[in-house]
Amino acid sequence: MDTTKLKGQIQKYLVESGNYELISNELNARLLQEGWVDKVKDLTKSEMNINESTNFTQILSTVEPKALEMVSDSTKETVLSQIRQFLEEIVDTK
Amino acid sequence: MTEETITIDSISNGILNNLLTTLIQDIVARETTQQQLLKTRYPDLRSYYYDPNGSLDINGLQKQQESSQYIHCENCGRDVSANRLAAHLQRCLSRASRR
Repeated sequence: MDTTKLKGQIQKYLVESGNYELISNELNARLLQEGWVDKVKDLTKSEMNINESTNFTQILSTVEPKALEMVSDSTKETVLSQIRQFLEEIVDTK
Repeated sequence: MTEETITIDSISNGILNNLLTTLIQDIVARETTQQQLLKTRYPDLRSYYYDPNGSLDINGLQKQQESSQYIHCENCGRDVSANRLAAHLQRCLSRASRR
């Protein structure tokens, strides 16, 4: 099956089953608890100061890669394994 | 089987990446718009001073005893020590209304 089509179907299944929301909520809760959200806010503020700009696209381009790095390995792994678990269920039933 | 494992991994990473980037964009958008709003409302806004040693306050000033700061009482024209100002005003203002 075409990869893009497959991905689209998987996404659709995840959303419709409510699992996407579960994964999203879990991720958000973990990130908040480990202080990642606050760190990204501080990073954004300092980037705005450094670049003397409040331009969204510009600041996003500098913040995004750093913020992605800052996610703790444990959070990444836990959420990834959750996603993999759901996917394996879907792939099996299909 | 190997192909399936790779796809599941890459799709999982893709989903996680989407979730994270959406969240990051949300945070950055909120912070930048808030900053833009502050800049338009308060063009001369300065942020509070931060001293990592903890000896200076948010205005960048040293700690000062209240007894060394004097405030001018408009009622009697005297300069009163800050830590005595409340008591002084209580007597000073009531004296004026009694007489």
